[in-house]
Amino acid sequence: MTTVVYQIEGGDFEHGGEASRRLKEQLKRLGADPAVVRRAMIAAYEAEMNVVIHAVRGELRASLQNGQLDIEVSDTGPGIPDIAAALREGFSTASARARELGFGAGMGLPNIRRNSDEFAIESTAGQGTRVRFSIRLRPQTLYGTGRHGLTIEADRCRRSLRCVHACPTHAVRVLGRRPEILDYLCIDCTACVAVCPTGTLTTRGTRAGLPAGEDAVVVVPAALLVQFGSGIAPAQVRAALAALLGGEAAAPSARVWVLEAWEAALRAGVRHYAETAAALPVISPACPAAVNLIETRYPALIPHVAPLAPAVEAVRAALAGQRAVFVVTCPSQRTALLGDAAGGPPLVDVLLPAAVQAALAPHLPAAAARPAVGGTVPPPPDADLLRVTGLPHLLHLFDEIEGRRVRDVRVVEPWACAEGCFGSPLLREEPCLARHRWETAPLPADGAARAVPRVRPLAPRPGLRLDADMGKAIQKLARIDTLRRELPGADCGECGAPTCAALAEDIVLGRAAAGACVRQRPQEKAP
Amino acid sequence: MTLAELAARIGARVYTPGGAAAVDVGRVWAGDRISDLLNEAVDNVLLVSNLASTHLIRVAELMDVPGICLVAGREPDADMLAAARAHGTLLMSSPYGLFETCGRLYQCLSAEAPTVR
Repeated sequence: MTTVVYQIEGGDFEHGGEASRRLKEQLKRLGADPAVVRRAMIAAYEAEMNVVIHAVRGELRASLQNGQLDIEVSDTGPGIPDIAAALREGFSTASARARELGFGAGMGLPNIRRNSDEFAIESTAGQGTRVRFSIRLRPQTLYGTGRHGLTIEADRCRRSLRCVHACPTHAVRVLGRRPEILDYLCIDCTACVAVCPTGTLTTRGTRAGLPAGEDAVVVVPAALLVQFGSGIAPAQVRAALAALLGGEAAAPSARVWVLEAWEAALRAGVRHYAETAAALPVISPACPAAVNLIETRYPALIPHVAPLAPAVEAVRAALAGQRAVFVVTCPSQRTALLGDAAGGPPLVDVLLPAAVQAALAPHLPAAAARPAVGGTVPPPPDADLLRVTGLPHLLHLFDEIEGRRVRDVRVVEPWACAEGCFGSPLLREEPCLARHRWETAPLPADGAARAVPRVRPLAPRPGLRLDADMGKAIQKLARIDTLRRELPGADCGECGAPTCAALAEDIVLGRAAAGACVRQRPQEKAP
Repeated sequence: MTLAELAARIGARVYTPGGAAAVDVGRVWAGDRISDLLNEAVDNVLLVSNLASTHLIRVAELMDVPGICLVAGREPDADMLAAARAHGTLLMSSPYGLFETCGRLYQCLSAEAPTVR
């Protein structure tokens, strides 16, 4: 199936559902996963019946590409005057006739949204409505975003098991010889990368070296400019980097963009939003990993997150249409830049700091004997903004906010790494020192920097589904519970799962062997 | 318990014997809103509803539901009957109302339910 199109007649209740039925036949012929077919059918049937109930005529267009099923149902009809209301469960404008037939429960659009991975609706009153939704075909995407920016170099693993304990969402297992990441739990932070003694867990660039001689903008984090010891100011590093890139004799500030300026613009945007925000404190979306953590472990805090995009996404939008290479300090930035929802080819390249540092080092001027304090005056500390860095602190603070015990803060800016991106494990310099060096000699602000709205709305992650079938899922849950009670409860992690409860789940789901516990004596082990 | 057995036990009239009669039913879901039924429709469920329309058969067809039970002695019209036959859905009608039908079905299924472990 490349694309199939089926016509839908408004008001034709007799044949309503016919387009969905034909789509189902196509999907079955293609051997699609039954769970995918199920979700597709709920969403497609609801969308089709919406046309039958409300519109004059319409069509259902489905295509299968890039591992996902995209469905678009468009119609000519009255349109939806208030989309927000239409998306509310229980809201319906269906006719009495439709209601008699069991429709018009006000669950159509919510049902479509719930059963799809991406959902969009646009409508013009008096003209028509277009609903688009996508369902990913890989089964694991049922359980989460299905993507993260980590790379596993499996042959390096010596089973130190540090990653298993470090992960804040219990997403890492080392049940066999190599670590595994559970996509639906991974928040793309650097906790496992930071503790891995062998470099097994890391992230990768899409290119190996600087785009020297190419007409490309290089975007660097401030932290990269303070990695070269004392006495070398960020401005000097940026000038050296621009010179290394060569090409036209443009100003360093045009060839090398510094992310920090865009983070400052985002900060201003978040402050502005906080003036009228309903849910306080407002949480800044500055760090993509922190936002992922909220979606995964603190869904109640989603309304607190300002509806703006992280700085890397704002820069990417500003550089649309140009060649751009981003030096990233963590997997979450990588995913934010490359993991485009549309699934097309990556728009930008990412590069790891190590490659830049190695290339730059020989070209830097000799360090000055006296500290290189820049001419720019550092900004005063932010009184109305609480910056919190490092995962343990984030977890505590989010607990506090969730418990409504933080009433004296207007804006929170959480960063998963210690000292923000200065503490990335992909950088070498001591985080506090690096940050100090930046703050005493920052580069002047970039006038072009601005904050942009977030494209994808935040949503709680679905977490683990034990089984697509609710009945089987309940049985599995009961088995997990029984097994958890039989395990010692020491949470030692020696088996490669972070806790005994996690191991029980792994065993029932077939990820771990029944006798995986190293503490249980053989006679106690379940048969 | 198979659909045929369930129908016999609760005293429902079966309109479309055949294919799905031997399907083992694990659960029952009752409701009069298509969206609700859609969400609960799986391949081992018996849907119970007051809605005697072809849309119910459509839901069964799209979601692989083996059986549908109408209530209060409601009779399917010719269209519904034809759709159920065409798709091989077992269509039955219980003489009791929604509540009592569900009660009887519950008794049948809970008597044989395995202890969840």
